[in-house]
Amino acid sequence: MTAPILSVRALERRVGDVEILRRIDLDVMPGEAIGVIGPSGSGKSSLLRCIAGLDAVSGGEVMVEGRRTQPGDGAVGMVFQHFNLWPHLTARENVALALRLVRKMPAAAAAEKAEAALARVGLAALGGRKPAALSGGQQQRVAIARTLAMEPRVLLFDEPTAALDPELTTEVLDVIRDLAAAGTTMLVVSHEMGFIARLSTRVVFLDHGVVVQAAPPAELFAAQAEPRVRSFLQTYLDRVAWARDA
Amino acid sequence: MMAALADSFLAAARGLPLTIAIWGAGVATGLVLGFLVAAIRFFAPLALSWPLAMAVEAVRGVPFLVQCFLLYFGGPFIGIDLSPIMAGWVALSVYGAAYFSEVFRAGFLSVPPGQLEAARMLGIPRHQAVLRIMLPMMALAVLPSLANLAVILIKETAILSIITVPELTFRVQGVGSATFAFAETTLVLALVYWALVEATAWASRHTERRIARALAA
Repeated sequence: MTAPILSVRALERRVGDVEILRRIDLDVMPGEAIGVIGPSGSGKSSLLRCIAGLDAVSGGEVMVEGRRTQPGDGAVGMVFQHFNLWPHLTARENVALALRLVRKMPAAAAAEKAEAALARVGLAALGGRKPAALSGGQQQRVAIARTLAMEPRVLLFDEPTAALDPELTTEVLDVIRDLAAAGTTMLVVSHEMGFIARLSTRVVFLDHGVVVQAAPPAELFAAQAEPRVRSFLQTYLDRVAWARDA
Repeated sequence: MMAALADSFLAAARGLPLTIAIWGAGVATGLVLGFLVAAIRFFAPLALSWPLAMAVEAVRGVPFLVQCFLLYFGGPFIGIDLSPIMAGWVALSVYGAAYFSEVFRAGFLSVPPGQLEAARMLGIPRHQAVLRIMLPMMALAVLPSLANLAVILIKETAILSIITVPELTFRVQGVGSATFAFAETTLVLALVYWALVEATAWASRHTERRIARALAA
């Protein structure tokens, strides 16, 4: 039995009187891809931001390989909904900046590693472009490359395609799927249910800051006994109903 | 009348170098001070930023003329005894700094927190994130407002004539007092300021574009 790479213990987050996360427990094994789903405001993004250390926790702890994490310690990498690329730098410079400033790599070596990371997300030819000259999907792939280049132990994706036009989501989802297939440990918050169902080793359903269910996708997406999960998934089924009838 | 006009232009030519020099020095010092004030207000704890906020409000709430009087005539009572030119430079710098600081502060606030969170997650130290990410991102946003303020400050230098700084207005008004040709001298003064403002506005647009290109390249 291997040890979990990420373990979340009794994690709580309160803002004033509002309980955002209530005693979340979650163990993630190396190579697992955890899908995190749930209604808007259920605490999905907060869970990721607490694991990343970007939001303060009110109780409990987050450990990666047995150590408490801090933002920037290299344990956890985060990909944001709005990419958060630096607009004055080219794609290559976006990826290389942390390599130079944090890893202290010489400029040439950092640029080379940045190119390799960009090639991994299918952007080998576009390293010289500024974010404004890239499509949304390309920008998000640069952001993924930027995070990958620092080789974090666990990758967090916070609604990585929510800011994209539908036809641009596929290229980003394909990259995430390739990473998962290569054994990258990840947590993915997404509303792309089909993607989550195919990607995840386990799916966590959050509602009002509580893990309602955590199960392999075949189980969680199958005929549901849990009413909150069922009504949530029903909204997605209703939305694609027209396609099934056709 | 022609003689009065000619005398006015001559006086203007003699006063112009000091106007430009004191404006340039005031803008330069004002930019540095204004940036420091904005940076302290943005990054430092409230105990430090609150007095600065009050100072900025005070400078912005008092007419420049009154500030010049306070410094030049009031200063000696608290041991600040400055020559007219020094007092003019200090007054213009402080006045400019208050307005520049507000532009810089808006610039700091215009950088989305997400871009800095991304830097934090990657382990980029805070000071490096400010230097490499925040400042370049805000530079483009603040440039036009800074240039605009600098051009406006040219006109404020006329007020320094009241504390006997021998700049443009002081010199040309001297001709008026000596010849009683107030209409002609004032007309010349207006034309010279207008030309000066147009010239600096053109120069600042030019510089602005060059800096924007350099940052965007």
